Amino acid sequence: MKGIFLSQLPLAAKVYCSLLLVGLGLGFLAAFVQAVTAIGLSYNEVQGSFAPETPMTHMEHGHMSSERQMDINELGSSAKVWIRTPLLIQTSHTHLFGLNLIAGLAGLVFVFSSLAEWKKVVVLVLLFGGIIVDIGGMWLTRFVWPPFAALVLVGGISFALAYAAIFLVSFYELWLKKEAPR
Amino acid sequence: MRPIPFILCLAAASVLAAPGIAQAHMTPPVVYLSDRDAVVGMTAGAKKHFVREVKLTPEEQRAIASQSGWQADEPFYRFYLGRGEDGKIVSAVTFLTEFTIHGPMRVAVALGPDGKVKDARIIEVTEEISTWVKPLAAGGFLQQFVGRDSRGSFAVPASHAASQENMVHFYGEVTARLIHRGAILFDTAFLKRGEM
Repeated sequence: MKGIFLSQLPLAAKVYCSLLLVGLGLGFLAAFVQAVTAIGLSYNEVQGSFAPETPMTHMEHGHMSSERQMDINELGSSAKVWIRTPLLIQTSHTHLFGLNLIAGLAGLVFVFSSLAEWKKVVVLVLLFGGIIVDIGGMWLTRFVWPPFAALVLVGGISFALAYAAIFLVSFYELWLKKEAPR
Repeated sequence: MRPIPFILCLAAASVLAAPGIAQAHMTPPVVYLSDRDAVVGMTAGAKKHFVREVKLTPEEQRAIASQSGWQADEPFYRFYLGRGEDGKIVSAVTFLTEFTIHGPMRVAVALGPDGKVKDARIIEVTEEISTWVKPLAAGGFLQQFVGRDSRGSFAVPASHAASQENMVHFYGEVTARLIHRGAILFDTAFLKRGEM
């Protein structure tokens, strides 16, 4: 970019970029553990956390109550979180700010890589687009159609893969790449 | 070292972690108890379990609002009923949530067939709130409401109001309010409808 590439940065700048990417990566690992314990990683668990509560009984139209016998095992034995609308609002605003700032910092490092411009654009679109698809998927799951939970996973995976690509390409160019930039 | 194999190899490894990373951005809630454990523990003595879902009529909603100020406007409310061999209710458990500025607080309330509180437990709060509700739970705060029905007082006692910091008192009030709502719901959906 403008003749400045990661492989040519001075040592302090290389260390800064590296530590930034490592720090953000460790943040993702910590978040991974938190996600496993609070929500779970499967499609069903994501849908269960974001979809509106569905009735367990079949209340007919006009009836004011409905009851059936249940097996206690129908209730989840694990202490998982159910994301309700106010929490969704809270989660959305904090994570839209937070993730976009993370993406902005990581993307800023990445734009100085020597990859072709179109490749960098693809990765950046996956990175920022993943955030929108992810958070948007949460809202669509809650208010439009529960199977949109798949979007939450797709968006998250898109973001994660883009970040992984940024991390790997940047590290390669910072510390391993020897040849002159194109 | 050529970049493409290197990058592909590490990218493949990262794919394994991707679903986790995908879900990594939740606020950190603290769940003390699963719903199942809460229902089992709060319906001790029951031989069978039932789930009952109730809708409130507009009249019932208005009555609740005038009694307590609570806008009970959920599409339906759910009770988990523990019944004895004779089919009579041992206790009914409902889960209620209030969204505070610090996040949600979820409480389970068990009511006896007479509409009196039998038990109450904090199920879920956010990490931030947990620091304020721990003293309440440890001090037996919730148990003081056992034996009260929907017409009882759920005011937070002065001993708690004066103690520690204001946020403990605030969440004591939220907890008491949720327990009261459980009693009101049972009173409305079971006792006043004559469905016992």
